[in-house]
Amino acid sequence: MDIWFVISNAIVLATIYGTLAIGISITWSSLGLLNLGYGFVFAFSGYGAWLTAQYISPWGGAVLAGGILSGALCGVLINALAFIPIHDKPNFTMRGMIATLAINLIGTQALLWWFGPRSKSLPPIFGYWKVSLGDLVLTGDKIGSVVTAILMLVIVLRWMQSSRRGLEIRAMMMNPHAASIVGIGVRQTSFFVMSITGALAGLAAVLLSNTYYISPFGGLTPMIKGVSIALCGGLGSVRGAVIAAIILGFNEAITNVTIGGRYVLITQFLLIIAILLVRPRGIAGLLDRAREA
Amino acid sequence: MHGTVSANPAPEEPKPGAPAVLHISQLSAGYGPMRVIHDLDLIVGAGQRIGLVGLNGHGKSTLFYAIAGLTGWQRGSIKLNGKEVGRNRSQGPGRYTHLVVRSGLALIPQGDEIFHGLSVEEHLDSGAFTAESWRDRANRKDRVLTIFPHLKTLLTVPVGRLSGGERRMVSIGRGLMTDASLFLVDEPSLGLAPKIGRAVIDALMEIDLGNSAMVIAEQNVALLEGRVDRVIGMHVGKLTGEASAALSLSGKEKG
Repeated sequence: MDIWFVISNAIVLATIYGTLAIGISITWSSLGLLNLGYGFVFAFSGYGAWLTAQYISPWGGAVLAGGILSGALCGVLINALAFIPIHDKPNFTMRGMIATLAINLIGTQALLWWFGPRSKSLPPIFGYWKVSLGDLVLTGDKIGSVVTAILMLVIVLRWMQSSRRGLEIRAMMMNPHAASIVGIGVRQTSFFVMSITGALAGLAAVLLSNTYYISPFGGLTPMIKGVSIALCGGLGSVRGAVIAAIILGFNEAITNVTIGGRYVLITQFLLIIAILLVRPRGIAGLLDRAREA
Repeated sequence: MHGTVSANPAPEEPKPGAPAVLHISQLSAGYGPMRVIHDLDLIVGAGQRIGLVGLNGHGKSTLFYAIAGLTGWQRGSIKLNGKEVGRNRSQGPGRYTHLVVRSGLALIPQGDEIFHGLSVEEHLDSGAFTAESWRDRANRKDRVLTIFPHLKTLLTVPVGRLSGGERRMVSIGRGLMTDASLFLVDEPSLGLAPKIGRAVIDALMEIDLGNSAMVIAEQNVALLEGRVDRVIGMHVGKLTGEASAALSLSGKEKG
């Protein structure tokens, strides 16, 4: 077993899953919406990137931008359909889950109807070059994925730290009630949240397109992984999502080389159950509001 | 908020003809099947500082929340600077709150309605919600820091780590970052040591209101005595009239 191969794979997976999990986590804690339409956003932006490669330019940057933009667009769409009409109705948590799940199912069927069941693949985004460090061979794909995902996350987190919208989103994540008291409009802010998290899903879709080819149902596994990583890290905590993504990325890479890739989901969920048994609120989950106050 | 802090505020007389800052008529509000506010009328003029006294659970906070649109349901008319912000609604608490806040309300809620992970400075920034106050936020922050100099040393500390009194200062400071014409301060001294509670009230009294108005809900009448323009009692969801004559014998009217 090549230890460096495992580590490099783990890092690649961790950054991509982390991207997805952070998107889900931010949506949950700021809007109170567990976005089960994330799989559709993922698949939609995969097709967006594919269309960009087919009709506009196969250049990596353009494909990436196509994926990110269509992800953001799809996020806005889900927001308009599943958040805006019902967010202040009773029992929103459950209704929101069902509404986004419905969008997921309808959306994937629509993609199946429109594009057919054959999976598509994207042109190589980062080229075919590779770097050899001793006996470790890093392909351009891996380096490019990690660098792009980290860059995007840094940009998003920086934006949330420094901009006014970011401040609004963070305020909503911490205390939605107080956020409306200081004049933050939930409906307005939700469009920003959903487009940003949609863009993150779009990025992950393009970066993962080498592992999960673009297909109508291709978003399901990444969404399950993203949701479970977000849960495991503690919903609402970006730091927790990153830690959980690293742990589960390593788990996936190790499982791949030891007992085989088809057991990944089994070991992953066993690990998540073990973590949640020890820490029910997740690795870095926020304390209950009641306890915090 | 306009102008600077002065030691002896001289509230201007409300201009005749100008709409009252707050004009509530026939307001009822509550949560689900429970009716907390019963057909309430209240007029607050510009420059007035009003004390609202009453026991726990008699609707002081609910009145404030109803003005902000945060109760479960409400009906009746609420006019803020002559603009109708009250709605007849049966659901959607908080849906219109940001619009009410934008038309000039600063609600300084009871207890710790804070963002525990934001630093003091970010917290103050979050109070500057309109484009104008956002651009002007450095000046406004300075102004808040002259009222609460203690916060200067804490600017980068997450609010969750502050003491109760410091949190209250942050919460009030957040309200003062705005251009609001109506400040609703809910139980500013609740849960604080008497000395700190008095300091917080003192700070509220020193704010120059200009043409805006302030309503302070407070259980400790002694803290307000003689320092506000009117004291109104509240009992089971109704205002019980002017309590100032009975309570503030040494008040402004005499002095």
